[in-house]
Amino acid sequence: MSDWQQYAQSIVFGLIFSFLLAKLFSIIFSFRDQNLRITRANSDEDQSYQILSESGSESVHDEKKSGAEFPRDHNTSDEEEPLVVQGQENTWTSSDTDDDWEGVESTELDEAFSAATAFVAATAADRSSQKVSTDLQLQLYGLYKIATEGPCTTPQPSALKMTARAKWNAWQKLGAMPPEEAMVKYLDIITELYPTWVSGSTSKRKDGNDNERSSKDTRPMGPVFSSLIHEEESDELKLDAIHAFAREGDTKNLLKCVEGGVPVDIKDSEGRTPLHWAVDRGHIEAAELLLSRNADVNLKDNEGQTALHYAAVCERESIAELLVKRNAAKDVKDDDGNYPSDLCESKWPWIQPQVPSLE
Amino acid sequence: MTSLNFILQNIILCLDVDSCGYILSDLPLGLYSAACRRLSSASRCKQSITGLDISDRLSKFLSSQTNLYRLILRGKKLIRGKVDAVDFDSMIRISMANNGSANDDTTNQNSSPSDLLKNEAPIDELSREIQETLSVSQRHKFWETQPVGQFKDLRDSTLPEGPIEPPTPLSEVKQEPYNLPTPYEWVTCDINSEETCLEVYNLLSNNYVEDDENMFRFNYSKEFLRWALHPPGYFKTWHIGVRVKTSKKLVAFITGIPAKIRVNKDIVTMAEVNFLCVHKKLRSKRLAPVMIKEVTRRVHLENIWQAAYTAGVVLPTPITSCQYWHRSLNPKKLIDVGFSRLGPRMTMSRTMKLYKLPDSPLTPGFRKMELRDVPSVTRLLKAYLLQFIVAPDFDEIDVEHWIVPKEGVVDSFVVESQETHEVTDFCSFYSLPSSILGHPNHTNLKAAYSYYNVVTKTPLVQLMNDALIVAKQMDFDVFNALDVMHNEGFLKELKYGPGDGKLHYYLYNYRIKSMLKSSELGLVLL
Repeated sequence: MSDWQQYAQSIVFGLIFSFLLAKLFSIIFSFRDQNLRITRANSDEDQSYQILSESGSESVHDEKKSGAEFPRDHNTSDEEEPLVVQGQENTWTSSDTDDDWEGVESTELDEAFSAATAFVAATAADRSSQKVSTDLQLQLYGLYKIATEGPCTTPQPSALKMTARAKWNAWQKLGAMPPEEAMVKYLDIITELYPTWVSGSTSKRKDGNDNERSSKDTRPMGPVFSSLIHEEESDELKLDAIHAFAREGDTKNLLKCVEGGVPVDIKDSEGRTPLHWAVDRGHIEAAELLLSRNADVNLKDNEGQTALHYAAVCERESIAELLVKRNAAKDVKDDDGNYPSDLCESKWPWIQPQVPSLE
Repeated sequence: MTSLNFILQNIILCLDVDSCGYILSDLPLGLYSAACRRLSSASRCKQSITGLDISDRLSKFLSSQTNLYRLILRGKKLIRGKVDAVDFDSMIRISMANNGSANDDTTNQNSSPSDLLKNEAPIDELSREIQETLSVSQRHKFWETQPVGQFKDLRDSTLPEGPIEPPTPLSEVKQEPYNLPTPYEWVTCDINSEETCLEVYNLLSNNYVEDDENMFRFNYSKEFLRWALHPPGYFKTWHIGVRVKTSKKLVAFITGIPAKIRVNKDIVTMAEVNFLCVHKKLRSKRLAPVMIKEVTRRVHLENIWQAAYTAGVVLPTPITSCQYWHRSLNPKKLIDVGFSRLGPRMTMSRTMKLYKLPDSPLTPGFRKMELRDVPSVTRLLKAYLLQFIVAPDFDEIDVEHWIVPKEGVVDSFVVESQETHEVTDFCSFYSLPSSILGHPNHTNLKAAYSYYNVVTKTPLVQLMNDALIVAKQMDFDVFNALDVMHNEGFLKELKYGPGDGKLHYYLYNYRIKSMLKSSELGLVLL
């Protein structure tokens, strides 16, 4: 009796095991087949082949592990053409007669939609993200298929394939909804689920690159705005770190340098002090800092110009005022014989030299 | 095709398949697995940064994935034989270059948030670059159907110069306008009407050409538009607008003006097509192509079958490609607003000195052009333009319109000989300001654009230096010039620097034997 029991038990286990094994193989193979078809449309090279099927089986394992379903379409894709391409074309042909124009122009809706699908795929991958109800997932799936492939034309999958059947139903029941409408609805659902996704995408839209592309894509004719690529540069200059800090207005490092014992009036190879550089770039805090550390306000560079000359040439009024308050000489000529006031286009009264130069 | 396979494979290899199994199998696998991989490292970082932060970052990164997805999509299209001739070399180079960085990426599994952001750059870059390469080939699909010079004919010297298609009988030209999407309607814009002109001005000043970084936007003045659109013999019907039917809001614009243009020995009446502008919010509606078709139709209705136009992008096929050059007049402002940059070893004060100009013109007899100068200027200009392969054929009426100074629009100066009182030379430039976008202190960039310059007695460099001086006096910030005509003869010497903008010139329905050098072009389009 116990023998018979044991025997029956092992038969039952054996049957169950072999059924599961067969099921596993069938899933793996059917998945492989579908992927290979897509691969061939792409390339026939062995290597990518291998990678694709590897990743295919990987995702099968994954499917077995978790029941969560997101718009994953491998069970229903039967067409010879890559589906994505077809989906894109659907949206093109649906509007107007200018499909040939530039070939690849896509609407904002297309962009938003493909970004949203990518977002959904990614959020699904992120286990820690909020869970979405199966109903909603199926709804998204249906909309996705409408948007990318149009109305459902594939045969109904067998009742044994529960998830495939549910997906097929979700797709089929939307009937002949236009792809644009499906995209809009899809986006609506995503926006409701993940409000931050919208803010993320709009901030992206403000991004320079994005604008650049869109403006280039949509307006191919007309003039061009050009700006200088050339940088003003002089070659042989040697300067110290403290000059660079003064140039960048980096008061923190500037202070460190001065406190670390770097002479505050050290000159670069053109004879400019850190004060010259700070004034040249208009960094008033840096200039104040240097002056408060006893920088000599009247040192000349190799062309005989003081910081006040620099302030005058560069029309830096507040800095020039500061320098004058700190006793910068207004009556010093540079090597070309110019007073600071001679270099200045604006006529500030307080920079005029006291010497009788006006007569 | 083999090379394309190679590239696609490369792309897939670069992206590597390692972690996540959530793959939409009918989307490109490499792309999605890359997305998943990045996401898994992103979610690892998630503990350390706030929720909002990460989702921002995610969606940003995902849009870059979208680009890649498009790229692969295009690759698939190519394979399906829709496009045959593409230059793949640069693509291979890019994908190879990226291979290295992507591999680094995979080894760096414990990436910190900042690493994550850094790593996004190459993929974004890659997709954009390859997209650009591909888009060159994709663009042609429209232009290959048009009567324009085709790339494949470039080396075929047996093709005759001249019209590509013969004119069709006027009765066969489509009589009714092309269809617009239902919410929109065609209108003819009367620029003489102050109200319409203002609408056009507003549309252009908010939606017309910007630089690549969106820092500047052309801001053609109303007076400029009137000048540019009302040359002698203009057609009102060629100033085409698109309005929203319900609100009557002007949302798109395109224009043509008639011009006699000489190509080698033949003088051809052409349309100069310009000011194609679609409202930013409607860029996705694909109005531009139908607008081009509509303006072409209306040009045909006037029994004109050729056109000249410019573009910043390469289309089939430029007659020549020109480079913009810029001469700083107000270097401090240009540096402040980001039009030009100051190198780390250069001082502002030296830059200011470098671009300093004398207070007044140096050439004796240099004065503003007047109406009475029209005959002599026309004579000078006609003779001068004969040496270029493509140039306008100006008569006195044209010169009176295009060259005689108009306040704030176009300025012209002549050199009158002190002894004979004859006009021996002249120079001209037009005023095209740009809005400076988002700058705290400056809103307007005043730019002068070199127009037509002719010398017979004065050295060209000296005359153009005087042009700079008067432009500086008139408070222009920068003087721009293309390297057309003899302009190369003064650009470097007068401290012009090269710009980042290239301007390509095109003819519609007219084939020329071979591409011109930019110095063989005698035409300036506004």
